[in-house]
Amino acid sequence: MVMASAAVAAVATESVLMKKTNTSHFLPASGVLLASLVLPGLAALVAATPLNASAENAPEKSTIAIKYGTYKDSQPGWDRVQVDAPQLYVQAPIAGVWALEGSWVGDSVSGASPRWHTQTTGASRMSDYRNAGDFRVTRFFPRAAVSASVAYSNEHDYTSSAIGLDARWSTEDNNRTWTVGYGSSSDRIDNTYSGGDVVNQRKRTHEFMAGVTQVLTPSDIAQFNLTRSFGEGYYNDPYKTLDTRPNSRNTWIALARWNHHVESFDASVHSSYRYYNDTFGVRSHTLGLEWVQPAGRWTFTPGLRYYSQSAASFYLDPIMDAQGNYDAQAVLMRAVSLNGQNQSTDQRLAAFGAVTLSMKVAYALTPATTIDLKVEAYKQRTSWHLGGSGSPGLDPFDAQFVQIGLTHRF
Amino acid sequence: MTKTLLNILAITSLAWLGGCSNLGQVNAWEKGNLAKPEMTFESDPLDQRFVQHIYGSKENSSGGYGVGGGGCGCN
Amino acid sequence: MSRWRTLRFDFSAMASPCSVQMDGQDERLMRRAAQAMIAEVQRIEQKFSRYRESSVVSRINRAAGQQWVEVDAETLGLLDFAQALWTQSDGLFDVTSGVLRRAWDFKKAVLPDQGQLQALLPLVGWQHLERKGRQVRLTRTGMELDFGGFGKEYAADRAAAVLHNHQISHALVNLGGDLHALGGRGLPESASAPWHIEVQHPRPDPAQPQAPLALLPLTRGGLATSGDYERFFIQDGQRYCHILDPRTGWPVSHWQSVSVLAANAVTAGALATIAMLKGPVATDWLAAQNVDYLMVQHDGHRVHHTQQLPP
Repeated sequence: MVMASAAVAAVATESVLMKKTNTSHFLPASGVLLASLVLPGLAALVAATPLNASAENAPEKSTIAIKYGTYKDSQPGWDRVQVDAPQLYVQAPIAGVWALEGSWVGDSVSGASPRWHTQTTGASRMSDYRNAGDFRVTRFFPRAAVSASVAYSNEHDYTSSAIGLDARWSTEDNNRTWTVGYGSSSDRIDNTYSGGDVVNQRKRTHEFMAGVTQVLTPSDIAQFNLTRSFGEGYYNDPYKTLDTRPNSRNTWIALARWNHHVESFDASVHSSYRYYNDTFGVRSHTLGLEWVQPAGRWTFTPGLRYYSQSAASFYLDPIMDAQGNYDAQAVLMRAVSLNGQNQSTDQRLAAFGAVTLSMKVAYALTPATTIDLKVEAYKQRTSWHLGGSGSPGLDPFDAQFVQIGLTHRF
Repeated sequence: MTKTLLNILAITSLAWLGGCSNLGQVNAWEKGNLAKPEMTFESDPLDQRFVQHIYGSKENSSGGYGVGGGGCGCN
Repeated sequence: MSRWRTLRFDFSAMASPCSVQMDGQDERLMRRAAQAMIAEVQRIEQKFSRYRESSVVSRINRAAGQQWVEVDAETLGLLDFAQALWTQSDGLFDVTSGVLRRAWDFKKAVLPDQGQLQALLPLVGWQHLERKGRQVRLTRTGMELDFGGFGKEYAADRAAAVLHNHQISHALVNLGGDLHALGGRGLPESASAPWHIEVQHPRPDPAQPQAPLALLPLTRGGLATSGDYERFFIQDGQRYCHILDPRTGWPVSHWQSVSVLAANAVTAGALATIAMLKGPVATDWLAAQNVDYLMVQHDGHRVHHTQQLPP
């Protein structure tokens, strides 16, 4: 019968110096603890603590977040596309077992893109506004959840609608969660109003996903997802000259992610690898690494991303003349001679590698409100293609994107 | 070269994890670290949407993280 | 949009000041949960207190050395738990050791008569308790069962279980210093912050009598403290406290206090008491139990250990 009182201090005083020990291997539970679990109600209490890593509980609080993103890309001597994107996100729990989520983004896009490879001459200029929103409803069950979502995106020449359905359920010890999902989207392209000749073309995609999330140790959680998608319809890019693509694209995507808690820094390391393969002939690898370091009210997250893709089977390299300059005439002649066959000079279908360096800084104004700033520098170089041999004759491509945001829970 | 890198990664991870017995048998009261916000897979939904949208329009790979997102005519 | 508030209910039970503090949005639900919780604590007190004639423990004690007593599942569970504690502590934690209090009078501050102690020692021993299905029997007349060693902690855990069944997820139960926390703070401005518990100082400085030994953060689970300052007297410069070694009948003296944070209060309390009883070897033993602890040695030296504390 010891006198103790709960002092609800906002900041714990340094009366206790807690020595941190390295516990990368977890120890078996105390025999006394195990014995206590036979007492009525105690096992349920311990097992039901909301510490299950797969989070099959409705969120306790509502969240509202706003963000402002800017994007700018360029190649040497030439600024290209610029985007300003205000965004909004809301999530609210309903009656303890439902959650509603919605987001909206309004991109203002302006600038120029090359019509051939990375050629600045004859570039297509544009100024467009894209409105996109999505809405999701989730129903939570003990150790399981089911979601349905809809998404809609609208710009002057392109509209896209999509629906999604997914379910996840966990094992009794909450150490493993299975996920399955189905998504379907329908896109429509029509740029006749701006003088283009693409009239009411459509594209339909179906995707299937299965995944598993596994708690490995008290400091490690990993996830593996497999996605298979089937798409058919209009894939040509109307802003690239004589661009003809297959009328179907099927993909395989495998994603593996791993979060590891580093006790000595009270930080987390996030690593991920994604393998992508499609019937355009493109194979890609995406490697991501992040270090999440909390420091009092601050959180610092430096990040590194490496991406490498192989060229599409119908991608055509630039043709150079005797002086080593881009021979626009020869490229055009070749395109015309191949008319009717799949062909593209879109640099996004070339073989290249890309690296992103990112830094995110977040500050908790209060435990309920956080502001954040994320700055990223992206560089795409054909020489960085994994294995070395990227597509020739393309200028380096650079982009910078910045996001500033505010999140509030209530 | 990719294959070698992947093999090295796989072996290193397995060797590291193999050192831990009772893999995957974590009790509820030991999940304190896993419940921390920095240990979730998708902590900032707007961040992810913005960044994935950029990569989807500047590279030829998109998806793998979830289903139901729509497309766009991004240039 | 949300109406988060904190409610606190103070009450008396098991001869101790008790309280429960909750953060939530539904005030009516919180009040109902608190009422149910207090009722559960009182139920446990009625059922297991050796001070109540009608309690299960009193019935077993009256039948000592005589007939079998039939008990229910909850009592059997507590007897199983007592058995586990007796085994895990190598016989130091023994719920039959309560009879020794007959030799010790902490109010009069008089050392016991050695003959009296010798007469009581044969009545101490879990091995003298017999079980047959749902029936239980103390085999020697004069033996007594006493659940006081984990009764309050059990009540704190059961209280938390009742709150949990009422969908309360941010609460702190405090039964006279035995605590169980259900989730951290819930108010948006302090979301998921731990409850901060002041642990009493075993030798308070007269200039600052209220200064705690430590401020321990507790988000989820139990916190209990066992100390040599709850009931004691000092004679000829030697402190005699109420925690008695069941093998000798004399008090332990190596630790001033032991506080343990564990997944529930009943575990925390048992580990704290066993550590007090084990003396110098308690450090290694407690380190193997996969819990957090703070121990103060007889000379004031502190030993503490923490691992992954819930956020």
